[in-house]
Amino acid sequence: MGNNASFKLYYFGFRFRGEVIRLVFTAAGKEFEDVRIDPSQWPQLKNQAPFGTLPYLEVTSGSQKLVLTQSTSIARYLAKKFKLAGRNDEEAAIVDMYADQVSDVLAEFAKTARESDANKKKEIEQKIENEIMPKNLKLFEARIAESRSGYLVPSGLTWADLYLFNLLEMLGEKRVMVLEAFPNLKGLDQKIRNNPRMAAYLAKRPITPF
Amino acid sequence: MAEYKLYYFNAKARAEIIRLIFAAAGQKYEDIRFEREQWPEYKQKAPLGQAPFLEVELNGNTFKLGQSVTIARYVARKFNLAGKGDEEQAEVEMYGDQVSDLLNELVKVHFEKDETRQNELRKKFHEEILPNTLKTLDGKIAHNGSGYLVASGLTWADLFLVNILEWLGDKKEAALANFSNLKSLDEKVRSHPRIAEWLEKRPKTEM
Repeated sequence: MGNNASFKLYYFGFRFRGEVIRLVFTAAGKEFEDVRIDPSQWPQLKNQAPFGTLPYLEVTSGSQKLVLTQSTSIARYLAKKFKLAGRNDEEAAIVDMYADQVSDVLAEFAKTARESDANKKKEIEQKIENEIMPKNLKLFEARIAESRSGYLVPSGLTWADLYLFNLLEMLGEKRVMVLEAFPNLKGLDQKIRNNPRMAAYLAKRPITPF
Repeated sequence: MAEYKLYYFNAKARAEIIRLIFAAAGQKYEDIRFEREQWPEYKQKAPLGQAPFLEVELNGNTFKLGQSVTIARYVARKFNLAGKGDEEQAEVEMYGDQVSDLLNELVKVHFEKDETRQNELRKKFHEEILPNTLKTLDGKIAHNGSGYLVASGLTWADLFLVNILEWLGDKKEAALANFSNLKSLDEKVRSHPRIAEWLEKRPKTEM
């Protein structure tokens, strides 16, 4: 596909699994149509999605059209196109590994959203807060320290940093306090927030609960 | 020349997709399987403290990778089993993610301790989640004409699909009953000489 491809992203109005894709476009300074679907309209639109799930991305270049689903696959494809995927195969694999790790944690958050039993929901929430998040924050903190670039990998900003940034946002109001204990994560969070394109995007995007 | 060492328990589970890729590619690797009691020792070496993990000796450097699907993606790319071109590669990854989601659902069923909930989850998986995904994948195979998930031929997504069909055990036949394209793909992949050889000689484990 040529460099003049046009992009149309379909997702709900909140951040959760679609946001990393929006962040990749933003960091790369690439235009895209950000279609935000109202959950109430979703049942009618479900048939158009390749696997009946959101997000999905339509890429059009001349007469060629590609439809992709699965948020991490979409993010990875775009990151490769926009040089936000790491410097070589090995670094790209490390980036993928970190992204998979973030994805696993997001899956835990998804579990709480789907859980109807109040006690079980509380159990999962506690597990995330007391076990899963701390373990992963420590891990990523150490990796940023190791890379020496201030980002997850030596060569600089990649989509895994944006995905991690997205995960940190899931901490909500607790984020600032939690990050005090993790100077490298705090630094990464700040760097991304202060990036001019990102700052502009963050200032104008819709405020959503997650 | 790179040298590969795969570390996992003595099980198929989450490592098998990686082993299938090595087999399909005819690539040598060290298939290290440790016992449960040995895990604490190996955990120290694992990039994210999880298994499987891969050690690659490349140009005098050791490169370590965790997360089974990332490892699969990385080695598939190295061995030309990842699809041709960025767009097809993204499609392959999309199918790989889809199969990975199925795997995670199966794992959820397996580890559910409450029997009533487990039965509920199992029912939902076999009556809803699995058929929906298989239907879409069957349609994709029919559409692209290669007999595989993508137009250019065999990729790691096909291997992952065959892997997950194995997880179904005696329920596999019923699951594939209405999906002739998937059935053909499964047969084709399993009878591919290098894969057939691996399936024959690999250690027999329950999971």
